[in-house]
Amino acid sequence: MSYTSYNYLLLFLGSVLIIYTAMPQKLKWLVLLISSYVFYLISSGRLVVFLVLTTAAVYFAGIFLNKINDSFAIAKKGLEKADKKLLKANIAWQKRAVVAVTLFIIFGFLLVLKYSGFFISSAQTVLKLLHLKPKLPFVKFILPLGISYYTLQAAGYIIDVYRGKYRASENFAKVALFLSFFPQIVEGPIGRFDLLADQLYCGHSFDYDRFTQGIQRIVWGLFKKMVIADRANILVSEVFGNYNKYSGGVILLAGILYTVQIYAEFSGCMDIVIGSAQLFGVEMSENFEQPFFSKSVNEFWRRWHITLGAWLRDYVFYSVSLSKPFMKLSRYTKEHMSEQLGALVPASFALFFTWFGIGFWHGAGVKYIIYGLYYYAIMMVGMYSEPLVAKAFQTLKINRNSLLTESLRIIRTTALVVVGMMLFRAETVKIWAGMMVKIFISFSAATLLKDSLSCGMDKHDFLIVALGVAVIFAVSLLKEKGVKIRESLAKQKLPVRWAVYACLALSVIIFGAYGIGYDAVDFIYGQF
Amino acid sequence: MEQLIKILEEIKPGVDYKTETDLIGNKILDSLKIVQLVGELNDEFDIEITPIDIVPENFKNAETIYAMIKRLEDE
Repeated sequence: MSYTSYNYLLLFLGSVLIIYTAMPQKLKWLVLLISSYVFYLISSGRLVVFLVLTTAAVYFAGIFLNKINDSFAIAKKGLEKADKKLLKANIAWQKRAVVAVTLFIIFGFLLVLKYSGFFISSAQTVLKLLHLKPKLPFVKFILPLGISYYTLQAAGYIIDVYRGKYRASENFAKVALFLSFFPQIVEGPIGRFDLLADQLYCGHSFDYDRFTQGIQRIVWGLFKKMVIADRANILVSEVFGNYNKYSGGVILLAGILYTVQIYAEFSGCMDIVIGSAQLFGVEMSENFEQPFFSKSVNEFWRRWHITLGAWLRDYVFYSVSLSKPFMKLSRYTKEHMSEQLGALVPASFALFFTWFGIGFWHGAGVKYIIYGLYYYAIMMVGMYSEPLVAKAFQTLKINRNSLLTESLRIIRTTALVVVGMMLFRAETVKIWAGMMVKIFISFSAATLLKDSLSCGMDKHDFLIVALGVAVIFAVSLLKEKGVKIRESLAKQKLPVRWAVYACLALSVIIFGAYGIGYDAVDFIYGQF
Repeated sequence: MEQLIKILEEIKPGVDYKTETDLIGNKILDSLKIVQLVGELNDEFDIEITPIDIVPENFKNAETIYAMIKRLEDE
């Protein structure tokens, strides 16, 4: 069930909200849990079994960890500091074993279902290189809805319990609701148990202001998805599917439009998700913070898909960086290298795992790994060249924080992101390379306008996308300047307020990309 | 405290750590700098800072970092 469909927006969301509002407070969580599982069953049918198994795995592991912690708390009473330390070390392996088995189970589902095809085809390639003629089976499973998201969420929960951030929940329903909540199950945001679970479980009464805010946010998301993203998709699909037919200029335009599409679509989906949750009084984490105002690729990834970046930082980067072998490496580089290299070399290793993770999480294929490593390479160049760049700016007496320099840095970052997005969208790395070459060798400004109009989008489509992008840009600029748009709007007089809402809603109805033969395009990030 | 300020100045010079109140919010310490700082603190104070300790509240300013060190020293 797509978040942009009438079935979701009017039938599903509408009825769940009515039932939720009508229910006594104590039972409201039950409405959310049942509706989340109904949503899942409608969308993914029998594959719900993997969600249930993941929930059960982390729930029971959590209970087990609680028991280990409780017995430690009793046993350590009255012990000397040294004995306490010894006891702590003794139970540490038990806790580690519980978490390792749990992560093995839940990531096992993800690896088998999402990546087995990739592993088999990679093995086949290796065997062929060794002049063997393998006959390995072709395997492709249907992915359970949102498995890449709920697996990370479940792993984050059990790792937090293991680290002692909070005590595991004894309430199975609470864990189940945390992992299955229907607005977030398709494409996140990847939630944290300590921030989300109580909000979902406690039950909120109806609040008119919150309701209108939720609806506004949903309509804003629909505007981004249906008016901008789905329209841009027409040209993007055509050019990425048949790039040989087009000149470099059109290919570049398709790359830019794809970047617009994926941003409008993913952030639009997050607006619908966060807006939907708001209707039930649940505040979810933001996943975007005006990413196209970033002055470096590093900053871009702090503002784009924030919850994924934060998950990898907390559970991969810090885990690797603070591990004993890694600390040893840091000490070694500190002693044997210059001060600057001593700090950079270990960081480069730890970041490799993070970026490999980002690439591999996005999809089962070499292309996605290269996609992650593309950003890793840019970041490494940035980190290692930083002293030289700083010196160059100093020598040339250029202010790094002037408006002009910052604008140029934003443009450079956006250009690098467009290239990355093209790699993400292109069918294969070879096609992406072909497209990049064509941009440089067959760029024809003279025929760009004519060529652009031959890819399925007419003048009106371009105008609507351009106006839509201008609106998003204006809103982002205001947010970047610290203006709280919705609060400011809420202070306006009723006719002004409603005129704005009506314009937005009407633009979705009038300019939304639909009509005969049109299907809403699947959310790109919903396919992971 | 003096020892901590010295380490902070080595890792990221040009900041007045005695008066700065939000090292995270003001983007003075990013995740790379934090890892570097943790390595130094572990060695210098003979403590073990684990991922669970890496929360903004602990790294907000020199005082909160110092409080964390003291707590870990007592553990």
